[in-house]
Amino acid sequence: MIKPSHEPHSNLIKFTMLLAGAVLLLMMIIGLLMRAAQGDLIEIDAAIFYQLMTAHGAGMVGAASLTGAAIMWYFVSRYVHLVQEVFVVFLTLFLFGVLFILGSISLGQFGAGWTFLFPLPAISGGAWETGAAAAFIIGLILIGVGFLLMNLEIGRKLISTFDGIGGALAWPVISGKVAPDDAPPPAIVASMATIIFNTIGIVVGAAVLVSSLINLYVPSFEVDALLAKNMIYFFGHVFINATIYMAVVAVYEIIPEYTGKPWKTSRIFAIAWSAILLFVMAVYPHHLLQDTVMPAWALIMGQIVSYLSGIPLLTVTAFSLCVYLRGSNIKWDLASALLVLGVAGWSVGVVPAIIDGMISVNKIMHNTQWVPGHFHIYLLLGEVAMSFGFMAYLIKEAKSSEFQMIDKTAFGVYLAGGIGFTLMFLVSGAMSVPRRWAVHAEEWMLQDRIATAFALLVIVGALIFVARYIIGIATYRRT
Amino acid sequence: MIDGKMKLLISSLIFTFCVLSKGALEKLPLTHILVQLPLLICVGYLLVEDKSQKIGEWYIGGEWNKGGYASLLIAIFTIAFWMLPRSIDAAISSGTMELLKFLTVPLLIGVPLKLGWHRTHPILKGFLKAQAISMLGVAAFIYIHAPIRICNSYLENAQQDLGYGFLYTSIALAVIWSAPLFLSQSAKSFHLQILRG
Repeated sequence: MIKPSHEPHSNLIKFTMLLAGAVLLLMMIIGLLMRAAQGDLIEIDAAIFYQLMTAHGAGMVGAASLTGAAIMWYFVSRYVHLVQEVFVVFLTLFLFGVLFILGSISLGQFGAGWTFLFPLPAISGGAWETGAAAAFIIGLILIGVGFLLMNLEIGRKLISTFDGIGGALAWPVISGKVAPDDAPPPAIVASMATIIFNTIGIVVGAAVLVSSLINLYVPSFEVDALLAKNMIYFFGHVFINATIYMAVVAVYEIIPEYTGKPWKTSRIFAIAWSAILLFVMAVYPHHLLQDTVMPAWALIMGQIVSYLSGIPLLTVTAFSLCVYLRGSNIKWDLASALLVLGVAGWSVGVVPAIIDGMISVNKIMHNTQWVPGHFHIYLLLGEVAMSFGFMAYLIKEAKSSEFQMIDKTAFGVYLAGGIGFTLMFLVSGAMSVPRRWAVHAEEWMLQDRIATAFALLVIVGALIFVARYIIGIATYRRT
Repeated sequence: MIDGKMKLLISSLIFTFCVLSKGALEKLPLTHILVQLPLLICVGYLLVEDKSQKIGEWYIGGEWNKGGYASLLIAIFTIAFWMLPRSIDAAISSGTMELLKFLTVPLLIGVPLKLGWHRTHPILKGFLKAQAISMLGVAAFIYIHAPIRICNSYLENAQQDLGYGFLYTSIALAVIWSAPLFLSQSAKSFHLQILRG
């Protein structure tokens, strides 16, 4: 079993997680405001609502990707020597990207949603100027370049250390040439797979972003709308999925410290991650099931791969986690509880996606709140829970390892809030309440108001997590 | 391994071919941009031999080109110039520009690439490759969807063919550059690159 042999870049990662934690809180507050506005509890101008929605979407995707990147970098750097400066460049580009995006929204009133779907950024109906849309797109490009550099640094080190991409993906274990004991650790296999599909996604994303930029200033250069949508959703789907695939590395690395049983790269594990590599890229047409001009084979592929996508996750990570936890006498604390919650949320969150990935269901549900129901479970109770778990792990030594009452309370409040909040989306979706509407009908407001209350609980829980983290870091600095 | 003299011979043959087939290759933008120009880059690339340079260490490994940045910048700016449709038009309509193309593409793209590429940090190499793939996609979009004739010398349908050529080149480069990384053998050479980088 390959063991960690390097010191991770702890201070840099702690700082990154602090930034991400602050952004997550801010974005949660924006989410709360939107739900409150939909429930008519507060009044927000419709134009501002869409700006908030764009900020919330871009901010949450950004924060999730930042935490995922930090987690992956931290754990990979325990196995191979990574050049810290690359992460600094990544973070700098990321923050500049965020500045551009926030500027485009706050100063330029850009409100086309984080998916920048063609031709909306160019046809604002006077709601925002071309410059605002361009700033948003440039911001995304800067973030993409940052990620590309980070992926290249991790990728080249994994390729050189583990004998090619195949080696890092543990293909010799699949073929039986190498025993699981000598295989790369799960963190490496997961990181390699994620880097491949995320890099491909970024390259495709860069092409469509620059094309959109040209279209903004020279509208006669019209992007093929269907091609643009395919490219955007390929990029978007891959990018947001990569966040959780990066974050799950924390589970593979941290949980064994609690159970005392190493998480090994078994043959099934290696096969599953190679399957994930293909599925993540092949499944994106399930975002386009309502585009009837799409080739039928692509839509059918989207539906079938949607079914298949859940299998590696559920069998490999969720099932394995249950096996590792069973009889392990794990000593629960905030970090372990949140990481396990992350896997549970991820596993549950995938179910509404599989349901909505069916063409017959999608026809009715796609533009309802069912979809935010899916991705809020996936993120709030999945990726973000893992990230908070990682933050708790980073400061573990600074405080008592006991699962203190304040931690238990915060965890309980966050869990209850998260379940209630996401359930309201699903209930609303099942009742055909449309998504992305600033103004709701009277009949839909009950769920909005209940969701607002649950959102408040989520924020209270998250606030305690972040506060504990800041106190933990401060304690470290003092000692 | 091909030795220096052989490389010089191949380089001369390619150059001669480019000169002799000028009319045929420049008839269509597809062959002009995606056949003639890459061949001219190869001419320059093959001109430089790693070890047997009379000019010496300064030329190949001097401080002036540390990290390969200086020569890469020369190559990138020259590529940018020859990417402009206006430059391509001028090369067809003006003998001077044509001559300039035959001189600058090998000497200011091919040679600098050879001088700088092996000194370039692997991350920068990866970035430039990713950039090339995605921007070929963008060029494909521009040439396929342009509402006007971009080059006065070529017809609109010919420029669309070039657009598709960019697209297929982008896909081909993505495969060519990434496929070897899956093989352990190439990973070893990649490792050497890292040590050198």
